[in-house]
Amino acid sequence: DLRLYLLLTQVSCCQVWGRYNDDFDDGEDLAEFDDNDFAEFEDVNEDPTVEVESEPPPKPAPSSIPVEDDEDEATVEIEDGQDEFEDADAQDQDMYSKYDKDEFEGYEKTNSPFKDTLIYQDVPAHLQNSWESYYMEILMVTGLLAYIMNYIIGKNKNSRLAQAWFNSHRELLESNFALVGDDGTSKEATSTGKLNQENEHIYNLWCSGRVCCEGMLIQLKFLKRQDLLNVLARMMRPTCDQVQIKVTLNDEDMDTFVFAVGSRKAMSRLQKEMQDLSEFCGDKPKSGAKYSLPDSLSILSEMAEVSDGVMDSKMVHYITNHADKIESIHFSDQFSGPKVMQEEGQPLKLPETKKTLLFTFNVPGMGNTSPKDMDSLVPLMNMVIYSIDKVKKLRLNREGKLKADRNRARVEENFLKQTHAQRQEAAQTRREEKKRAEKERIMNEEDPERQRRLEEAAQRREQKKLEKKQMKMKQIKVKAM
Amino acid sequence: MSANSMTDPRRPNKIFRYKPPSTDSNPTLEDPTPDYMNLLGMIFSMCGLMLKLKWCAWIAVYCSFISFANSRSSEDTKQMMSSFMLSISAVVMSYLQNPQPMSPPW
Repeated sequence: DLRLYLLLTQVSCCQVWGRYNDDFDDGEDLAEFDDNDFAEFEDVNEDPTVEVESEPPPKPAPSSIPVEDDEDEATVEIEDGQDEFEDADAQDQDMYSKYDKDEFEGYEKTNSPFKDTLIYQDVPAHLQNSWESYYMEILMVTGLLAYIMNYIIGKNKNSRLAQAWFNSHRELLESNFALVGDDGTSKEATSTGKLNQENEHIYNLWCSGRVCCEGMLIQLKFLKRQDLLNVLARMMRPTCDQVQIKVTLNDEDMDTFVFAVGSRKAMSRLQKEMQDLSEFCGDKPKSGAKYSLPDSLSILSEMAEVSDGVMDSKMVHYITNHADKIESIHFSDQFSGPKVMQEEGQPLKLPETKKTLLFTFNVPGMGNTSPKDMDSLVPLMNMVIYSIDKVKKLRLNREGKLKADRNRARVEENFLKQTHAQRQEAAQTRREEKKRAEKERIMNEEDPERQRRLEEAAQRREQKKLEKKQMKMKQIKVKAM
Repeated sequence: MSANSMTDPRRPNKIFRYKPPSTDSNPTLEDPTPDYMNLLGMIFSMCGLMLKLKWCAWIAVYCSFISFANSRSSEDTKQMMSSFMLSISAVVMSYLQNPQPMSPPW
């Protein structure tokens, strides 16, 4: 046993030396040792030790034993030596018995089952030193960066378009209005000379100080280029930038009529949505062929005289030349906005109306507008100015005026009828509230004298009311007779 | 000069100040997108935080970005910032608790 131990130790020393010194001639070294002990191993040791030493150091896994038929003994010895080196507490006796020479012959066979039962554990993804496993996160961050890029680009584009529009229209506006640009916050009514930015895609401009009108609010409603979702949605369904102009007029600036002209789709939509158009222009939108308007446009009008009055040659000329850019033109003295849906069914009061001219223009380019396209909208602004002056001069003749007045009276009556029940209810509740309040006051009176007096007063009032009602009933009866 | 003033349509004495249209009268005209997105963002970030779902947290970040892009300039920046911070914190907390990468749904 002792001999074996020495042998193994010396072989392992050899092997360790050999690993770090390629030129080391093991044969010579071995010759130094006791020939008797190593005689058997000499030949065997030379080749395999050199070979093994030139190999890279064995793997840390103990199961990866290089299987070489010729070098059985040598490799096993090396492994053995390794084991000896590595675990200090190794049960040397056991190892010697395990790796005894005579047992080597069947070694390969017993070796294989160990390999089959190996289970390689997966290293958790976040502990691997690779970014590839985080590809979903990288995708997300890339998406966010794309969104931010699109936001910046879209915002800039909208801003440039707005500025281009203002630059091309500035002269026309400044020659027509005393106040161009106001945000309502400054103390003095001075022109700011720039657009108000409401949003990243909506800019507005207020102009005022002109004959024939109170003021003009221009809204540049661009597409939401700053929102990537919107950009993607627009790839499915293209829409265009719009310019909306709302001119509010004083009472003396416009006669009583309601009129609209625009694209067919817009007209049918407006007729359903707008309070005044639905009430005063009951007929379906008519074609403008009478005025030689293109087919794509249709007219909603309160009466034929109004259409004839508005559609003079210059208007027709404007509209025909720019038919593709006109979405809708709406003149109304009863404008109150879109129909309001109230929870109780009907509003109790007639909505407030204002004499208004509304224009909605489509910017050419269908979304792919460039700042140059804004110049093509200047003639439309000329049309707006022309319309303001025209509406001031347009007066209905006697017949037309009568019809218009009748229409308005009819609409008001209808409204009152519809809300009659509701108003009655409201009046009833109000009366009951008053009575209750009075009773409360009487009850709360401390002084019995005053209480009695108040009660008497209330009773007298009730009596008077009853008498009045009876009188009325009698009068009606007499009249009926 | 006198001829000019005759044809000049401007009347400085007829100036009316700009009055921003009140939103109470026209609630339908307002774009509800930023408010919805804000709400969605908050809901998703709470889901992501409570249920430790990473994809919820990421969607919350997207929602708050969309809400910011669609917001009106008159709106409070504090609200935007708070929803943004909440969604970022949801993402960070999900990863701190569970550093594993997100697995795709397919």
